[in-house]
Amino acid sequence: MEQTAVELKGVEKKMRQKRIGPLNLKLPKGYVIGLIGENGSGKSTLIHMIMKIVFPDRGDISWFGESYPRELPQHVRRQIGFVSEKSSVEEDNLTAEEAAEFRAEWYPEWDQTYFEELLGKFKVPRNIKLRKMSKGERRKYEISAALAHRPQLLLLDEPSSGLDPFAWKLMIDELRDYMESGESTILLSTHIVEEVKRLADYIVLLHHGKLHGMAEKDNLMDNWKEIWVSGGADLARDLPGIIQVQQEIQGVVRMISTECLQTERILQDSGIPVLKTRALELDEILSLWLNGHLPAGVQSGKGD
Amino acid sequence: MWIPIQLNENSAEPLYHQIESQLRSLIISGQIKEGTLLPSIREFAGRLNCSVITVRRVYQDLENEGLLRTKQGTGTFVAKVGEAERETFRREAVEEALSSAVDVGISVKCEEEELKRLFLAILHKKYHPDEKEGDT
Repeated sequence: MEQTAVELKGVEKKMRQKRIGPLNLKLPKGYVIGLIGENGSGKSTLIHMIMKIVFPDRGDISWFGESYPRELPQHVRRQIGFVSEKSSVEEDNLTAEEAAEFRAEWYPEWDQTYFEELLGKFKVPRNIKLRKMSKGERRKYEISAALAHRPQLLLLDEPSSGLDPFAWKLMIDELRDYMESGESTILLSTHIVEEVKRLADYIVLLHHGKLHGMAEKDNLMDNWKEIWVSGGADLARDLPGIIQVQQEIQGVVRMISTECLQTERILQDSGIPVLKTRALELDEILSLWLNGHLPAGVQSGKGD
Repeated sequence: MWIPIQLNENSAEPLYHQIESQLRSLIISGQIKEGTLLPSIREFAGRLNCSVITVRRVYQDLENEGLLRTKQGTGTFVAKVGEAERETFRREAVEEALSSAVDVGISVKCEEEELKRLFLAILHKKYHPDEKEGDT
């Protein structure tokens, strides 16, 4: 049986501008879950609620199977690593080394050797205050510091913003290493589709504060395809998961299917030749999904 | 351990199936030797840009087939492939290739006799490349 790192049940929050929820979501332990959504869709609020920086108006959240009606107890908070979208001002006047000393006191699992190794790899400048660093340098410090206490759950809110392509590649590799044990979980909020493609096992889509569900990434890649078939547009009526049909030249119809494995099987059994198949790019899949075409088997508003 | 697996996203074949059948061929054909330690699930998934769910499924299937074995804490290894399995695999690979060649023949409406003649002629040419054409 799969274990759950975090579970949200009927979670709702009214913000100044928007309403988020009700959210029902299970983050399975041992996986990277990519969190996708437009600006203002509620991704950061969702992460803040999991950190208990923001308290929901309604609903329940549980961490590793336990829920805590008041503050998140220290031993749970110490299991969580967090890279926030905006760096905290508390550490602004400290150097990376000084900030690490504070963090080391707070986190019993703090691994100074690992932290130093990461700072070295990411080429984070030493002996200058964090607020004097460039956006990318500060980001690299934040990522290193979030990994250094080897948390069970890593919440990353747009971690790669400001990173150069080399640091970005390094971040991907380090996050994969961190996942190696199979015990850790990452919730990764990002606008970079390539990041999701390289790292994520599952994808959660948030739109105007509502969940459009959670899907297995490879399942999406296997099933969302564009196919060209001999025949007319009426073919689509008897096929599953067709979301777009277009008559191309005489006798050839182009379709987009969200259940391509099944679609192709039916076509093959009916003796209708598939002339060409093209896998949709992940960004094409995500925008179709965002526009309300849900992956097969996914219920709107639910992510489990 | 580098494993030459080539994924084709535009194929109708699901990713896990592509990985599984290629890895199976590599093991049975002996290109990956008995006792070889395979990459961890997360590492392999990273190299293929696919999810750990897919790789785990492949490892489990091949373990059930007896081609892989997992030692707790050390990793997944290539198991010993029996002579009988290797033989079956050899035959099936050839059968599959021949079968798709026949399908091509059928699709262009070749008669059975014509196909037979063509097959025997190609066979002869491949096995006796030095003989001039028309010698048969």
